Amino acid sequence: MCSQLTHSPSNKVCFYTFKIPEFTSFICICYSMSNNTNVIHVQVSSVGDAQRVPVHLMPCEIEHNGPAQVSQYFHATTKDRKQEMTVSFRGRALRGQELCCPQGYTGVVLKETIKPGSDQEDRTVMVTSVFDKMTYWNLETLPNPDDRVVMAMDWTELSEAIHGPVED
Amino acid sequence: DASALPFEADNSVSCRLKSQIPDICRTEDCCLGIDEAGRGPVLGPMVYGICFCPISRKEELKDLKVADSKTLTEAEREALFEKMDEAKSYVGWALQVLSPNTISNSMLQRTKYNLNALSHDTAIGLVQHALDCGVQLKEVFVDTVGPADKYEDKLSKIFPGIAVTVRPKADSLFPIVSAASICAKVARDFAVKHWRFGEDLGEVDADYGSGYPSDPKTKAWLLRYLDPVFGYPQLVRFSWSTAQTLMDSRGVTVHWDDDDDDEDGEKAAQRRNNRSMLSYFSAAAGGGSQSGSNQTHRFFSDRKLKSLDTL
Repeated sequence: MCSQLTHSPSNKVCFYTFKIPEFTSFICICYSMSNNTNVIHVQVSSVGDAQRVPVHLMPCEIEHNGPAQVSQYFHATTKDRKQEMTVSFRGRALRGQELCCPQGYTGVVLKETIKPGSDQEDRTVMVTSVFDKMTYWNLETLPNPDDRVVMAMDWTELSEAIHGPVED
Repeated sequence: DASALPFEADNSVSCRLKSQIPDICRTEDCCLGIDEAGRGPVLGPMVYGICFCPISRKEELKDLKVADSKTLTEAEREALFEKMDEAKSYVGWALQVLSPNTISNSMLQRTKYNLNALSHDTAIGLVQHALDCGVQLKEVFVDTVGPADKYEDKLSKIFPGIAVTVRPKADSLFPIVSAASICAKVARDFAVKHWRFGEDLGEVDADYGSGYPSDPKTKAWLLRYLDPVFGYPQLVRFSWSTAQTLMDSRGVTVHWDDDDDDEDGEKAAQRRNNRSMLSYFSAAAGGGSQSGSNQTHRFFSDRKLKSLDTL
């Protein structure tokens, strides 16, 4: 998972951030993507079918792309007491917190279902699920405002100030 | 049996179970024995036990025919545990159940907390518990796995005024330690036998064997219940090499940011910075990404934000 964020001020579809009526822009969490192409289309129609799913930002890299028994192992053993969430992953203690997507943003999970045949071809990605909050986990340390992913959310506000329309 | 209930309620944490303190233990000089059960197994909790009684009644404890728990059958241990309960007017006990999850979390902590340190701290905590309850402790007997002298010194310093005896195989030498070992073993067996899985795994085969890595039944169970991503349910001690080896070979690889902090620190440092000496002599080498006009502002690098123009 990556915590990369972009912001698009206009209505046009530029690469993968764009505006549609309900969603101003996207936080993209993407997987199985390659680079070197010119145009990437996001299948807007797939948003409607997309499921709302719990999303976890893990403090480790898991060499696995695909389904996992998240609810059986992870959700079932997660403890949520007084705003403090704890769980273990592979025997290590994690401490987590829920993090909402910035105002006006919706998180999407994109998946490229058909791989392009060459570098020149346009690419199409589908929205497989959407989320408006995620749970981010630290290895042992208590979640705090200095955590990178929390600070990353500052960007949307700053971006708005830089790129937003200037009022008289 | 009801004594294990608090642990059943949440078997992911460490939990203390205790008997009532006999009144006589608050007025008469007492001896106390410490032993552990389930240190070696890859499955289930490790249980620390203390047992105490007035020094004047040590002999009566002998008459109960307590012996090293390892020489007894499960049924014999349970019968002796019942007998000790009948002797509750002068015998008290307390247990600390260290869940396999607690053991994994501790041993795999960023700043490693090894099993010996965890064991010592647990034993110390139990002795302190007895003192806090007003037990008049004068003698403490401890069974040990590591070097006895050092541990004895450590305990003597922490508990001045108490005669501390640390011995390997103390559970067969001192009845009060045998009694502690029985309490610990009964609790450990109970916890494993009645393990309630926090995971949502449906019907789980409870034929784990002894829990020792060398037991073929335990091995077969570990092979059968390996999840490629999550590894194991919390019954398993992830810090045991048996579990780690199986996850390494049959599970997916997981990288943590402190992976390199282990023994091979030097090698890892080399890998991260494996530039040839010669590279420092070429003009273009420089600091790489840090130089040039494309330098990212600290606002972005601090947040690990990158501009995306492709996926």
